[in-house]
Amino acid sequence: MKREDDRLTRLRKFSKAYACVECGRCVAVCPMAEMYPDFSIEMSPRGIIQKALRDGGGILADENIWYCTECNAGTDVCPQGVSCRDLIGGLRKIVLEGHPAEQMSYCRDCGKPFLARPVERFVMGRLEQEPPNVRALLERCPACRRLTYARRNA
Amino acid sequence: MPGETPDPRPAGLKRRNMETKTAKTDPQSPSPFLNLEDLRPRLVPRKRFTDRFMPRHSGQLLFDPSRCTGCGTCEMVCGNRNVSLVAPASASVTVFRDEGQGKNFALYCQHCRRPLCLEACPTRAITRGEDGIVRIDRVFCVACGLCTMACPEAAPLRDHRTKEIHKCDLCEGDPLCARHCPEGALSFTRGKAFRWIKGLRWTVQALSFLLLVFILIGTFCSFQAGVVSLSCPTGILQNIASTKTIVLTGIATALALLLLTVIAGRLFCGWICPFGFVLDLVGKAVPKKISPPRWLANRLNKYGLLAGAVGGSFALGYQAFCTVCPIGTLCRSYGVQGFFRGAELAIVPALAALEVTERRSWCRYFCPVGALLALVASLGLIKIVIGAKKCKKFSCVQCAEVCPVGIIDGNLLREGVSPKIPMTECISCFRCIDRCPYGAAKIRFRWQKGVPGEEAP
Repeated sequence: MKREDDRLTRLRKFSKAYACVECGRCVAVCPMAEMYPDFSIEMSPRGIIQKALRDGGGILADENIWYCTECNAGTDVCPQGVSCRDLIGGLRKIVLEGHPAEQMSYCRDCGKPFLARPVERFVMGRLEQEPPNVRALLERCPACRRLTYARRNA
Repeated sequence: MPGETPDPRPAGLKRRNMETKTAKTDPQSPSPFLNLEDLRPRLVPRKRFTDRFMPRHSGQLLFDPSRCTGCGTCEMVCGNRNVSLVAPASASVTVFRDEGQGKNFALYCQHCRRPLCLEACPTRAITRGEDGIVRIDRVFCVACGLCTMACPEAAPLRDHRTKEIHKCDLCEGDPLCARHCPEGALSFTRGKAFRWIKGLRWTVQALSFLLLVFILIGTFCSFQAGVVSLSCPTGILQNIASTKTIVLTGIATALALLLLTVIAGRLFCGWICPFGFVLDLVGKAVPKKISPPRWLANRLNKYGLLAGAVGGSFALGYQAFCTVCPIGTLCRSYGVQGFFRGAELAIVPALAALEVTERRSWCRYFCPVGALLALVASLGLIKIVIGAKKCKKFSCVQCAEVCPVGIIDGNLLREGVSPKIPMTECISCFRCIDRCPYGAAKIRFRWQKGVPGEEAP
């Protein structure tokens, strides 16, 4: 537990989460609002930054850190230079280092966790019209997909 | 604008469902927000009449793996396009090198006709312009990487320095990678300038319809002009069965059509058959709404009907099928004698109504004339081959879409496997060859091995 707390503190420093002034610009540009109909303050980058600052280790058990797509939008607009992408990515890494989390989907070929389940559900929802064999291709991580495609065609 | 431009994609694929709903409930009220739709190019290209024969292509990058040396010039010139990001890391093409087998592969965006990245993008930054180029709009892109997750080839690449996503935009019509490739492995093509097979086939079909229906009335079934005589092979078969005598001249005349079938496949069905012409015309107008039951949509049905026709003729003593044959009925319909055959002629619209299920459903599942030709075509000299290595797979299964008898397996092509085309079912209309912009569909002799892109050197 001690080590985990250490890492959390370092992560807060690294992503400059301490500098957050709760202006809400990251929430305004966050694509999750478009992706999930149940987008809420707990899921938003501001909510996660605040919870990571105040809640200690509780943030690691929070379901809401798995909804993020780790895009550039919030990091780009933040006036204080807080990187919500790095913060959430780091939180996920801490969880995944302990044990494989069921909130990630793992590549069928190489076993790498490459996409969070809620994001995968969103992508699959958008592609539900596609034939099953095209959707099956998406079970691999992008690197494996490129390699399979290249091997088959070279 | 939502609700105004017709969207060719199925309803579930429309990404602007939410906005369409609001626009429908109150189209007049001005939105307080900036309407993003006004800012972007039209997604649906306008159709021109000339597109049917002279398709407009934005062009397509083609890659020949046998020529690629893996030098990486394409990565370099592509990365140098943006002066602020000069480095191969910001390129939108990447080369996989295999030193062991010498097999290299350049991966780049194929500009799908129905891009999956466009569907998945949560900020709607990806658009497909009228020219067919799929672009990322830098204003809207937040680099979430979902386009890479949705793309079957994972072609949008992430620049690991800036975390931006880069994707080929064909350099707006003049790709640098193709211009600078030293070995000519990457090349840029605008596809065929003119679809001549299409024009030729419709002309031949219309002419043979005129000839068989209006000029040589009733003569497809049996035609005699001096020493030249032709007849329908299925008709002759029924004739033999009903009269129980073998007429050698009849067999000889039926052989003409069978010979054509051996040489060129079921060319009769695709190019000459007057009823097939009617079906093609009806199929253009009728929407495909109903999916037929499985027992009906069985390609073996037509052989059963052929056996039934011959057996029926044997039992009844006259040509059982010929009385209701849609081809024969159509041929006999014109003129004074045809006028009295109103009841018989009803078979033509009745069978043409089958087009609501699938294109050419009569020819696919039922036609006994086609069944006999199919049996002969299995001995045919030619075959149609489609090389999956030469084609664009996910992004373009136009051959499977245009095939009127539905024998090209689009799902196999999507996976990168060359489909085998059964020449017994193929009606030799050559639509696939005409439509393929990459020269992957070809006519080959029966004994030739390999498919385009995979031939032995």
